[in-house]
Amino acid sequence: MSFDPSLPKDGINVTPTHPLREGLLLVVGVAAVAAGLAAMLAVATDLLVPRVPPRLEARLFSGWFDGAAEAGTGGAREQQLTVLLDRMSAHWLENPYQFSVVVWEESEPNAIALPGGTIAITEGLLERVESENELAFVLGHELGHYHNRDHLRGLGRGVAFSLVLVAVGLSGSGSATQLAAIAGQFTQRGFNRVQESDADRFGLELLAAEYGHTAGATDFFDHLPSDDGLSGYLSTHPLHDQRIHTLRAAARAAGWPLRGKRRALGWPSDSVGAEVREQVPGRGE
Amino acid sequence: MILSNIETVPGKTITRFFGVVSGSTVRAKHIGKDILAGFRNIVGGELKAYTELLTEAREDALRRMVEQAESLGANAVVNIRFSTSSVAQGAAELFAYGTAVTVE
Amino acid sequence: MDQNAEVLVQLVIPLALLVLAYFTGTVIERRHYRSIRERERSWSELPVITLRSVPSGWRVVDSGLVSSSVVISVDYFKRFLAGLRMIFGGRVKTYESLLDRARREALLRLKEQAQSGGYQAVINVRVETTRMANARGDSRIAGLEVLAFGTALELREAP
Repeated sequence: MSFDPSLPKDGINVTPTHPLREGLLLVVGVAAVAAGLAAMLAVATDLLVPRVPPRLEARLFSGWFDGAAEAGTGGAREQQLTVLLDRMSAHWLENPYQFSVVVWEESEPNAIALPGGTIAITEGLLERVESENELAFVLGHELGHYHNRDHLRGLGRGVAFSLVLVAVGLSGSGSATQLAAIAGQFTQRGFNRVQESDADRFGLELLAAEYGHTAGATDFFDHLPSDDGLSGYLSTHPLHDQRIHTLRAAARAAGWPLRGKRRALGWPSDSVGAEVREQVPGRGE
Repeated sequence: MILSNIETVPGKTITRFFGVVSGSTVRAKHIGKDILAGFRNIVGGELKAYTELLTEAREDALRRMVEQAESLGANAVVNIRFSTSSVAQGAAELFAYGTAVTVE
Repeated sequence: MDQNAEVLVQLVIPLALLVLAYFTGTVIERRHYRSIRERERSWSELPVITLRSVPSGWRVVDSGLVSSSVVISVDYFKRFLAGLRMIFGGRVKTYESLLDRARREALLRLKEQAQSGGYQAVINVRVETTRMANARGDSRIAGLEVLAFGTALELREAP
């Protein structure tokens, strides 16, 4: 029995795949699966949502957003907003909802259509708005979300995709869950952008019906911070310039005047927007 | 290639021996199987998907070990041992090792 | 801006960590393999075998237990890839080189141990791998220990 000191061939126990190649394949694979899943779930909710009657929606979500209503500041402004909202929703003939408005103490300008018919508007938005027409368009846009049932779609998609992420999370892989979440978010953003454009279009219609012209529709975008760069690219809403362009084109196509007299906002103790302006500087046609 | 997990190959004599040869592989099962196994954990019983995975991996490890022995010019591996360890959650490492020898 | 900061935290930092881990990991691995190959060549004359009995023809003067271990950690890049691999299943290629290195290192240390004890061979070698939990005790990998042990023999003349 003799000993042979030779060594076995090197590298047998390592698969000779380049790690970057492996990484690329895996990242693309996981992202594609997650994006595909998110898109499938989005389509599935889109099919399901129109079948939920608004009355059932109101019943389902009654009580869900009581907290949201209580968080409102209350008072004269909410009443005034409700009056404006009623005027706008009167032009939506088959409106099945009972709408109400709450004002939230948030500095970020935002408006949210909550399931059940409550529209939440932030202080930050009200501070920036300068005319009644501008505010009316914002409300019309939110009514557009109800008209298209977007608030339910968003909710359904969110819940469905969260379930998928929980399932992925069960595998114990943090990196996969993170990657899937990012890919899913991007896919959902694509769907959201379409929704926002549709809601814009509906808001424009209501605005034209209420005032006879569409002045003020694009004012709000001038009062928002610029959305250039990374945050704009990642935003759920289409870029401002694009929205302004689409709105103007839609108004022109429908024959609604782009100019008109804007009505002042008469907040109980507020001087902002007291003067009627004919044209927003820099945004003239 | 003769494989055994005893000291010798019965009926033959070892004329030459080399060092330790080994084969290993790390395997993971896909997430669908993982989730099904999660349900199976409630009722108990054999986790077929896992048995399959480990069998496959063990064969893989053995094949690599044999490949090492062949590269040495050996014709048998004796005293083979297997060891299984969980490297990460959902991934198992199968390791087979033995002594490469030449028998006559 | 807020949203930019969020994007930064979500995407840029992990990405930077990945790139950093990939490059440092590759360099460390290449260096380690070079050292392993060199030492394997220089230690090749010291037999390490799994046989339990003393090979015929060896005259044993003395014997003793030797053991050596290596604890290794997975880098961020490899862990990331392995995490993604868990979705599809199959060979976790990035961990293979890691375990290969650890095991060869443990066997080399076993030889060094034997030599420093004045032994010329090791028989009945066993290799064990254990996963160590981290301080929080969660299931994510913290370290892997490879332990090699065997009986070292002092021989009258070198094999």
